Amino acid sequence: MAEFTLPANSVIKSGKTWAAPAGATRVKNFRVYRYDPDSGENPRWDTYQIDLDQCGPMVLDALLKIKNEIDPTLTFRRSCREGICGSCSMNIDGTNTLACIKAIDACEGDVQISPLPHMEVVKDLIPDLTHFYAQYASIKPWMQTQTPAPPDRERLQSPEDRKKLDNHYECILCACCSTSCPSYWWNSDRYLGPAILLQANRWVVDSRDEATGERLDNLEDPFRLYRCHTIMNCTNTCPKGLNPAKSIAELKKKMIERR
Amino acid sequence: MTEYKIEHHTYDVVVVGAGGAGLRATFGMAVKGLSTACITKVFPTRSHTVAAQGGMSAALGNMEPDKWQWHMYDTVKGSDWLGDQDAIEYMCREAIPAVIELEHQGVPFSRTEEGRIYQRPFGGMTTEFGKGIAHRTCAAADRTGHAILHTLYQQSLRHDAVFFIEHFATDLIMDEEGVCRGVLAWDLANGILRIFRAQKVVLATGGYGRAYFSATSAHTCTGDGNGMVTRAGLPLQDMEFTQFHPTGIYGAGCLITEGVRGEGGYLTNAKGERFMERYAPNAKDLASRDVVSRSMTIEINEGRGVGPKQDHIHLHLEHLGPEVIHERLPGIAESARIFAGVDVTKQPIPVLPTVHYNMGGIPTNYHGEVVTLKDGEPDSVVPGLMAIGECACVSVHGANRLGSNSLLDIVVFGRAAANRCAETVTPSATQPALPEAGVAKVLERFKRIHHGNGNTSTAQIREAMQHTMQKHAAVFRTAETLQEGVDKMNEIYASFNDVAVTDRSLVWNSDLMETFELANLLDCAQTSIQCALNREESRGAHAREDFPDRNDEQWMKHSIAWVDEAGKVSIDYRPVHTYTLTDEIEYIAPKKRVY
Amino acid sequence: MSLLTPFKRASGLGTTSDGVKHWWMQRVTAVALIPLTLWLVFAVAAHSGEDYATVTAWFAQPFTTTMLTLFVFTAFLHAVQGLTVIIEDYIHHEGVKIAALIGMKLVLVLLGTSSILSILRVAFAG
Repeated sequence: MAEFTLPANSVIKSGKTWAAPAGATRVKNFRVYRYDPDSGENPRWDTYQIDLDQCGPMVLDALLKIKNEIDPTLTFRRSCREGICGSCSMNIDGTNTLACIKAIDACEGDVQISPLPHMEVVKDLIPDLTHFYAQYASIKPWMQTQTPAPPDRERLQSPEDRKKLDNHYECILCACCSTSCPSYWWNSDRYLGPAILLQANRWVVDSRDEATGERLDNLEDPFRLYRCHTIMNCTNTCPKGLNPAKSIAELKKKMIERR
Repeated sequence: MTEYKIEHHTYDVVVVGAGGAGLRATFGMAVKGLSTACITKVFPTRSHTVAAQGGMSAALGNMEPDKWQWHMYDTVKGSDWLGDQDAIEYMCREAIPAVIELEHQGVPFSRTEEGRIYQRPFGGMTTEFGKGIAHRTCAAADRTGHAILHTLYQQSLRHDAVFFIEHFATDLIMDEEGVCRGVLAWDLANGILRIFRAQKVVLATGGYGRAYFSATSAHTCTGDGNGMVTRAGLPLQDMEFTQFHPTGIYGAGCLITEGVRGEGGYLTNAKGERFMERYAPNAKDLASRDVVSRSMTIEINEGRGVGPKQDHIHLHLEHLGPEVIHERLPGIAESARIFAGVDVTKQPIPVLPTVHYNMGGIPTNYHGEVVTLKDGEPDSVVPGLMAIGECACVSVHGANRLGSNSLLDIVVFGRAAANRCAETVTPSATQPALPEAGVAKVLERFKRIHHGNGNTSTAQIREAMQHTMQKHAAVFRTAETLQEGVDKMNEIYASFNDVAVTDRSLVWNSDLMETFELANLLDCAQTSIQCALNREESRGAHAREDFPDRNDEQWMKHSIAWVDEAGKVSIDYRPVHTYTLTDEIEYIAPKKRVY
Repeated sequence: MSLLTPFKRASGLGTTSDGVKHWWMQRVTAVALIPLTLWLVFAVAAHSGEDYATVTAWFAQPFTTTMLTLFVFTAFLHAVQGLTVIIEDYIHHEGVKIAALIGMKLVLVLLGTSSILSILRVAFAG
């Protein structure tokens, strides 16, 4: 059966509280999921009290402040800090998003931060995304053509055809959508999930790509594509404002069209 | 070293870094039949190439007639004649096939009505040797870097390139003859140390913007390749040249592309004046980045900055209309909303010159081979070692890079490196055993830093360095401020001996990784500020108030700097290549640089 | 620890080249059930309180028999398809899953067939 309770070694215990410095004026609690793979202990919630007057505006700023000034062992991925690299995807206050573009002020009460849900955790806020990336590779996400490209100039594409790539090519592979999808939680071994299906559709709608049929063939499967039950968490959570659910619907429509 | 689990790997080529340059090189080599591994500390699509916005220059002539010779002239002028013209010719000529190749690989470029690649104007890009404004920058809306990086990763998947993802490369393994023989990398996922043996190591590790407090660069831009090279006893070149992007978001430091001005945006001061008209009567807001950044700084210093503290400038694009913004600049509209709370269709964006790019780096020739000054020979190739992308100094950008020439640089020289390896490396050739002393040295350093037991945290040292660089190696420099900065940096460099690593684990120990990164940043900062003090002229991005003019007689040369273990910098020079690659264009002689 | 490569795990046993029919039929039956259900609700409501003989006579009308049969057939078809998905979603033990799928289908076919036979029996036998 799908597991609806946490296995014993994943149950989160309460951890340490790091008090705010004396004289702090505007204190907010950050409850952060901690897991140390070396200790053999269960994960825990550590609470850090941060003076918001001494902290940048985004949740990532708070995490960096914790790491720099309070607890250097806290581990999370981060890079561009402007919402384009997709490194710092995590669950903040129950929603998957990028810590770098999530304003602390937008969180009411304590801020609870945990890794992307239903993924194996490597350490603290770092999930193992290996399978997600392998699924990406499995859809052959590159241009496939039979017709040779013109040797000395670009392939032509009308602005209208180019527009079809909008809301697809901007995907940053942060995995927020896929890991918010209950269907992906239960069946990620076979279901590709919204991010990868959006990427699949990116190539299906590209007027230059000539492998449309093979791409659709590769998706025609009760699990790969049809585990999408239109729950729409993907679209709600996408930090880039994309609409994976719509891309999946377009794929399903094309499957019908070609019958 | 029983503390560590060590595994050995042998490849023909090892590429360190998976940004645009590293990926282009990696799958280029894979296509050529070389066994190639790419080591990267972040998943490839997280590399900082992803944040490039405006575009990639190439004289395609899709919007109006264009020639690579014009592009070359602009690049030479932009470099303030410090660029090597053989390399610049190579880059500008190869730009055209490089963009077309990217399009064929699937980059979703924006399109013209005819279905060609859309090109936009960019700073310093002109037609007919400075007469008109060129539309030369090929764009995918304002997410060109993202589009290109993802495409390059897709091509790497297509060609079954081998990746070691989330592996942190700490040091090069050198032998007694100064040949690079491999590299040590630490597997973050399981703590294994991997010793890579290779016929060639290609460094593609990017810039070191994080040496400064406020930079458009990602947290991961820590000059790792530069640090490895200095520890291998090799010099870094032109480290004094740090580009300040005119339009970083005030406060957050996030990038707002020059494409905004390319599409018609402009800057104003507190009086609402379009001040760039005074500083660059012809190019105005589309002057070269160093010129615009200096002009903005002067406006602020003379009390004409905007805001309650009069400490920034406004960038306007309201007049472009929501349609143009939505179609061509959607990403910056999003960034401005998130980081400045501004609706760009109604309000200007508060901006400030922000550290953006490092023209300097590891000296190479236009094949990507690392060179050094050895026995009086300035172009002496270091066997086994190559460098490409921002970490390299070919030098195509000289003293100042033109916008949209960096995406070009990474693709062209990534490809050049692959081509060069195909010529110089025998596939699957038997490699001699790694030098024991070289391996012992890098393992010993790993262990020493891993057990760093001092009293100063990594973050404290890093912050001290960042503030020092921000204050003392800013847009305008003087001997006095630089000397102060050099003194402080010497202290900060020495304080690394007292570094404290709190986390002793080996699995995803990001505390330790940041400490390694800090060591690399310190080498970059140290050479950068000392070379800045040393260069007594103003050229490109290096503006000395005490030496306001360019001095070709004395300073038309690359500075190269070595750092010893104690942080002492020694400086020497390499001549600028004052010749071109072919007869199709003459050497472009220096003249006064006005926009 | 699995020594399979991530790609091997992601590609699994390949596609079944199937799924679109199931998905489409589930939509078609769902849409068909809207008018059928509405009809049933209103028709049953209209006959509430009537005696047994009147209702069986109504059942025996050709239109009523057709609609009822269609309703039951469509509803059970839809149920089989929906339950298949639910079982596939939540039961991951291969043996249990197959048993549940077969069991579910047997039960629903049994119930469906007996429902339709009941309708027909009322219709033809009075």
